[in-house]
Formats: sequence, C-alpha cells, structure tokens
Amino acid sequence: MIDYVMVVVGGVLLFVGAICDLLGALGMNRFPNFFVRLHAATVGTIGGAFYPLIGASLIAFGSEFLGFYKWFVGGCSLVSAFLILMLAPAGSHALARAAHKSKASEVTPKVVDHLEEDGGVS
Amino acid sequence: MDLESLVTLMILCTIPIFVTAYILYFIRILKGPTIPDRVLAVDALAFDLVVFLIVLGIYFKSPILPATAVVLALWTYAFDIFIAKYLERREMGE
Amino acid sequence: MEVTYLLLALAMLFALIATYLAIVEKHLVKAVVFSAIQSIAFTLALYLLRAPDIVLVYLPITVGIYPAAILFLIKKTEEVEQP
Repeated sequence: MIDYVMVVVGGVLLFVGAICDLLGALGMNRFPNFFVRLHAATVGTIGGAFYPLIGASLIAFGSEFLGFYKWFVGGCSLVSAFLILMLAPAGSHALARAAHKSKASEVTPKVVDHLEEDGGVS
Repeated sequence: MDLESLVTLMILCTIPIFVTAYILYFIRILKGPTIPDRVLAVDALAFDLVVFLIVLGIYFKSPILPATAVVLALWTYAFDIFIAKYLERREMGE
Repeated sequence: MEVTYLLLALAMLFALIATYLAIVEKHLVKAVVFSAIQSIAFTLALYLLRAPDIVLVYLPITVGIYPAAILFLIKKTEEVEQP
C-alpha cells in the first residue's frame, strides 16, 4: 500500500515539474532581454529540475521491480536534486553579475538603474 | 493495474513535454543575440537533461545508468563559471 | 524501443546543427558555446546507446577542460577571427 502512495505522489511531482519546465522554455522565448530571462531560467531550473528529481526518487524508492538497486537510483536522484538546488542559483547569479559588469546585454525598456548610477558592481 | 505498468505509463506521458521544452530551449540558443543569453539557455537545458537521464534510467529498468547525471550537473556549473569569469576579466583589460 | 530511436534521432540532429554553427561562426566565444551544446547532445546519444562509462570520461573533457583551455588561449590572443 505504501508503495502505491509513494509512486502516485512521485508521479504528481514529476508531472508538475514537467509543466514548469515547459513554462520556463516558453518564457525563455517570449521575454524581451537578458535580465528578464533570468526569471524564466529560475522557473526552468528550480521548478523544472528540483521537483521532478524529488518525484523520481520517490518513484524509485516505491518501485519493487528494480530489485535491490532501487536504493542506488533513488540516492543518485536525491544527491543530484540537492546539488542543483545549490548550484543553479550560484551559476545564474555569477552570469548576471558578469553581464552587468561587461555591458554585454542592453536593457532596452529601462526606467531606472540604480546600480549603474552608483558606478557598477565592484 | 499493477505497479510496473503504472510507472511506465506515467513516464511515457511526461516524455513529450520534456522533448518540447528541449526544442524551445534550442531555438533560444540558435537565435540568442548575446553571449549570456546562449549560456543561460545551455545552463537550463543541461539541468533539465539531468532529470531526463534519471527518468529514462527508471524507464529502461537498468539501474547502473543514472550515475552519469551527477557528473553532468557538476560540470555544467563549472562551464557557467568559466564563461562568467572570462566576461569579467575582459572588461578589466588584462 | 521506439522511444530510444526517436530520442537518438533528435539528439543527433541537435549535434549536427550545433557542429555546423560552430564551424561557420566568426566570434570565437560563441563557437565555444556551440561546441558545449554538441557535447551535451552527444551525452544523451551515448546514454541511449547504453554506454555510461564512455559518458563518464567524455563529459569532463568536452564540457570542463576543453572550454577552459580554449578560453585561456582566446584571452591571450584576439576574440574575433580575421578574414
């Protein structure tokens, strides 16, 4: 009984993560410039990679037909989920800092930029 | 319905959504105007490919395969840091 | 089995387009990004061909060490290829 509960909860998490992934990819194509596309990338990595990995680990823990190696698959999934939770915001933040510092991308509908008025990031 | 066919059916329903998302990310890589746009799209595509590798490992019922996903996540972060540090150093004039 | 062949065709199509753009491109940093896309597509292809040991060796070289060496060389020389 507990196997069915874990597999169904994991399947719901996997489906929600796939929908978040599709929404992030659509936003990556529709948004106007780089600093707005960072929001779509966050939806695509945290919502589209962390939740389905937790769901895949629940599916692997609940499925008996994998044999003894189900602990191996579920453990791999949990480790990569927490690595993505730590590494993806750090990578996109470093990229945004470099893009603002090297003036690689122009902000076209710009109202105010307090960071540029203060002399940029040090 | 037993457990094995239920898991197979759920994974088969989510595969087309992932493939559509990969095609949309690849379109952004092809037409992205600046370098940080392309690198951000590469980042998102690789972190979503990690999910796809583990899901395919459950679908093929071969449990040795998903060990490659951890390596893909770590080296994609290293690629991000390389490009970001290159863009910062070029502005410093070294 | 049909899922394997369809995904293999898609991954090799991505790799072909990325390789062509990496050869044609004049800006060298963009060419490095296209080369990374080719190696990530080959990762999916080698995974579908059931060769995880080759993936474990191929991925650190083509995503990690090769762009680091090429970016170090570009920083010492010019960024845009002259005709």
